[in-house]
Amino acid sequence: MAGMDGQNGNIQDVYDRMEIIGDARRALLERKRFNVKTQIFIANALVFVLALGVAVVLIANIYRIQRRMEFLEFANEFSIEIQQARRYEKNFFLYRTNLEDALENIHAAQAVFIANAEPFASILGRTQQQSVLRQLETYTDLLEELQEIQRKAPTRLFDAAFMGDIENRLRQNGKDMVTMAQGLMGKEKAALTRALQRSIAIHMLSLVALLVVLVINAYLLVGRIVTMLTRFSAYAQRIAAGDFTPITPRRRYRDEFTELAIAINEMIKELANREAALIQTHKMRAIGTLTAGVAHELNNPMNNIMLTAHMLMEENATLSAQERLEMLTDVADETSRAKHIVANLLDFARESAATIQTLELEKLLRDTIRLAENQVRMSGNKIELQVTDHLPAIHGDGQKLQQVFLNLILNAVDASPKGSKIQVIALPYDKAPDHVAIKVVDYGHGIPRHVLSSIFDPFFTTKAKGHGTGLGLSVSQGIVAKHGGKIVVSSEEGSGSIFTVVLPVTTFPKTIHTF
Amino acid sequence: MSDALEILLLDDEPIVGKRLKPALAKIGCNVEVFQDPIAAVDRIEKKSFDIVVTDIRMDEMDGMQVLERVQARSPRTKVIMITGYAMIALAREAMEKGAFDFIAKPFKPDDLRKVIAKAAEALGSSVDFSAVNENT
Repeated sequence: MAGMDGQNGNIQDVYDRMEIIGDARRALLERKRFNVKTQIFIANALVFVLALGVAVVLIANIYRIQRRMEFLEFANEFSIEIQQARRYEKNFFLYRTNLEDALENIHAAQAVFIANAEPFASILGRTQQQSVLRQLETYTDLLEELQEIQRKAPTRLFDAAFMGDIENRLRQNGKDMVTMAQGLMGKEKAALTRALQRSIAIHMLSLVALLVVLVINAYLLVGRIVTMLTRFSAYAQRIAAGDFTPITPRRRYRDEFTELAIAINEMIKELANREAALIQTHKMRAIGTLTAGVAHELNNPMNNIMLTAHMLMEENATLSAQERLEMLTDVADETSRAKHIVANLLDFARESAATIQTLELEKLLRDTIRLAENQVRMSGNKIELQVTDHLPAIHGDGQKLQQVFLNLILNAVDASPKGSKIQVIALPYDKAPDHVAIKVVDYGHGIPRHVLSSIFDPFFTTKAKGHGTGLGLSVSQGIVAKHGGKIVVSSEEGSGSIFTVVLPVTTFPKTIHTF
Repeated sequence: MSDALEILLLDDEPIVGKRLKPALAKIGCNVEVFQDPIAAVDRIEKKSFDIVVTDIRMDEMDGMQVLERVQARSPRTKVIMITGYAMIALAREAMEKGAFDFIAKPFKPDDLRKVIAKAAEALGSSVDFSAVNENT
């Protein structure tokens, strides 16, 4: 679409706008879907998996600690039995007593060891297990041998050489076993400490990991939602300002916000249609006002034609060729005059597509004044135009701007007492560069201070019921805003008002393609 | 036929005077044509016309003001107002203020002649339509 959005009541424009909204909708929908809901679900699933992993590792560790503790208990028991056996063994060699007790302890140690042979093998290896088993057997065998001797040949117990040999072997063996058992206990204690430390480390690390995951998750989720909320509040402000460009995709995926965007685009369509209808309604009212003036003004050429034609008929026989020609020329001239009177209004009334073009302000204002001239004359006032030389051209929709100026001039006519003048002045705007100001000045009754701030509000009117819709200035302000300009008013009660339309000189209107 | 009726015709459209002057002359009226109301009012001050025909809407001075001036200067003068389409209310107002009649644009020369004949009658005079009827 070449024109601006939302300004035109033209059918073609409405279709264009619908097409643009349709395109935006398609573009919004053709992306892959990635809902906020999905993101929340994925993030929660991720946290759950992390927690599950941590729990599994911790449970495995606790299980290992438990095994270590059981093994430590076994090692302790084993060590106690061995040490007890050795104490009795010493007693035997000193006092020849307690051999039975030593045997009992060593059997107990053997039983404990066999009961825990498997965990022992898994921790210290099969070879070590076999070697301990052999040592136990050797020790037991030696003790049993002593028992046998005690029973059958107690005298040999006093054979120093023989006993010394057994004692040495027993002592060596016992010592090895005690060393082994204590070493085993030491090892197990160290392993247990390590496992406990690992457990603490896992707890700490998993907490840190969870924190990191949660922070990243919150950052992503909050970032996503806040970005979209910020964006939509900007959209709302833009739409409120009258920019009815639809929302187009800015992300690679679509989600719940896409549905919101589509709904807003639908709303934009409705708003644009309504605004267009409003502008059109207001224009039709202006045309209605102008029509009365045109009808009045048409009576002059029509009267001239009628009088001339009748005189031609009456005097046909007596008129000279010269007189006849003069009268016929009058008829032709007056007919063109009538045509021009109507043509201006027809030009203005014609619905044309909104087109943005370079506008020569002077011509535009002159055409507008011509349009309003009948009204000005009927009200017994004068209108004059002053345009600063070499005023830069502006860009815009000529018809819409004409509607704005016409509205201001007709308002000025309504405000002016009979016999006063209305001035239209175009000049560079003094408060901002690259802007022009078009002032419509009247010397009428002015606007009371307390209503000055509401005159641009829709439906605000000071005119009698049935004489004004209160839409003129609101619609005009809307049109000028779309051109990147504004209307400002200054008024003094009793001495008149100045409405200043400020327009940028080189604005190119926004179109759908720039968004 | 009595004395010729003295008529002042005021309309800012030149063609109106140009065509109506001979049209009214045919029924025996002396017509003075003006386009400028100021000049016309000046003339009214100097000469008492039987009938003044004036357009209501003019730039410098409107028909209502002319009516007031005529009434002040010469109460017996019949004032006929020419109105445009949207001026009927104004024409009524003129009638209330003492205008003799009004005629709405666009009108035929005969329409004005008939109103003038009525005014002549009211003045105790009459107009002669024979010249007109001969030709039509």
